[in-house]
Amino acid sequence: MSVIDLLTRVDSICKKYDKYDVDRQKDANISGDDAFARLYAVVDADIEAALQKAEQASKEKGKASAVAINAEIRRTKSRLLEEVPKLQRLAIKKVKGLSSQEFAARNDLVLALPERIQAIPDGTPVAPKQTGGWTASASRPEIKFDSDGRFDDEYFQQTEESSRFRQEYEMRRMKQDQGLDVIAEGLDTLKNMASDMNEELDRQVPLMDEIDTKVDKASSDLKNTNVRLKDTVMQLRSSRNFCIDIVLLIIILGIAAYLYNVLKK
Amino acid sequence: MSTSDPNKLLTKADKLTKLSFTRWTADWKSATILYEQAANSFRLAKDYENAKTAYEKASKGQEMLSSPWDAAKHMESAAALAKELRNWREVADFYRRASELYIECGRPQPASDALAKGARALEDTVPEEAIQLYTDACTVLEEDEREQMAFDLYRAATNVYIKLEKYTDAAALMLKLGLAAEKSNAINSQCKAYLSAVIIYLYAHDFKQAEKCYNDCSQVDAFLSSDQNRCASKLLAAYTDGDVEEIKRVAQSSAVSHLDNVIIKLARKLPTGDVSGLKAETVEGEEILDENDLT
Repeated sequence: MSVIDLLTRVDSICKKYDKYDVDRQKDANISGDDAFARLYAVVDADIEAALQKAEQASKEKGKASAVAINAEIRRTKSRLLEEVPKLQRLAIKKVKGLSSQEFAARNDLVLALPERIQAIPDGTPVAPKQTGGWTASASRPEIKFDSDGRFDDEYFQQTEESSRFRQEYEMRRMKQDQGLDVIAEGLDTLKNMASDMNEELDRQVPLMDEIDTKVDKASSDLKNTNVRLKDTVMQLRSSRNFCIDIVLLIIILGIAAYLYNVLKK
Repeated sequence: MSTSDPNKLLTKADKLTKLSFTRWTADWKSATILYEQAANSFRLAKDYENAKTAYEKASKGQEMLSSPWDAAKHMESAAALAKELRNWREVADFYRRASELYIECGRPQPASDALAKGARALEDTVPEEAIQLYTDACTVLEEDEREQMAFDLYRAATNVYIKLEKYTDAAALMLKLGLAAEKSNAINSQCKAYLSAVIIYLYAHDFKQAEKCYNDCSQVDAFLSSDQNRCASKLLAAYTDGDVEEIKRVAQSSAVSHLDNVIIKLARKLPTGDVSGLKAETVEGEEILDENDLT
């Protein structure tokens, strides 16, 4: 059999079983006057697209792109959720050429839609039952707390370690303060003594000056006197003669003493 | 040199100085020498009365010989002996005479020293006279522009006043000390003087005076930026609050412990009298203000 033959046969078979093709039916429906069907088809297509994106996000390696895709999915979800009430209203309307079965089915479909939309994974952790006061933020699932809202008593309690640490810190600080006080007092005393010494020295400066002048005068007087004395002595007898004088005097005295001793006996 | 009886020396010297027919001019030179010898011998023999008289006469002789320095020196010795004899009036007189002679020499420092010695001798017995001597000594020094030497004298005089419980006078002296300190650029002493004055007023329980004194002192720049100023303001604040604990704490602080001993004793005894009375007064004043303040 040739290719052309194959193609023709496949075509004819497809045509035969076209009526069992749901998608084709849907498209056919869309082209019709049925607003509900049209809208429903659109919503359905969007859901499919979102699901695909979610799959892509889970496969995504980079965090930032994953987060961006998740954000887009969330936007789509909220938009679709808004569409749901419209669909509900349309579902109630009767359309010609529609069987009662289909009508009932439409209602069910619409009801199932919100659940399907929510089920699209968009990166938020599933929190089925949220107790406590934090459920108010359920309307904003994008905002996350690290501990998932479990802020009970234990969280803020000081552990033993930290309170001990704080105590030690306080003790050390007190000791430091005491030490600094002691140092401050010592410095005060030093300052006082230093300024007293300063004043005392200032007091003695003029006295020293006076002493200086007086001693200068006295020493010059002394020098004068010495020179004069020397001159006088020189005048009387020059030093060489003076020595001879003394030696002769001693000899005479010696002779006189000898004679005295001899005569006494 | 002379081992002979000092009395004999004395009589001989007297004879030399007494004018009579045979003697037209007194021989002061030899007389003075004899007097000095006699005085020394008397002192060694612990005959204070005679020694004192001998010294007086020696001093007179020196004066006649126009050597006021020696005269003053003899006068001082005479005064010291008079102190031993507890003849207080004579002590005062002798020291004054000595200081006059010193001034004659042109030596104000020894003059004030002589007066200070006299004051110290009379502190316990005739305190008013002592204070007089102290103030005269300070005046002598200030005339010669040597105020720095006067600090000690002022402090001693203040102590005497406090002993006499004349607190206003004591505080006034302290302020004079402050003035002298300022002239000689001794800032620390000045500030200490002012703080002492405030404490004295507080001890006398004269809070208004103390405040006035503090305000006056605050006009002085040097005091304003000193440790003592802070201490004084803390003390006054504690008084206005009526906080006895605070007063005691300030009195124990280091600024007060650097002051004179007598002042420290006063400070430790603070507060005298009823501090809460002062507090009530100030609080009342504030209330009145509120009533009249209609804004």
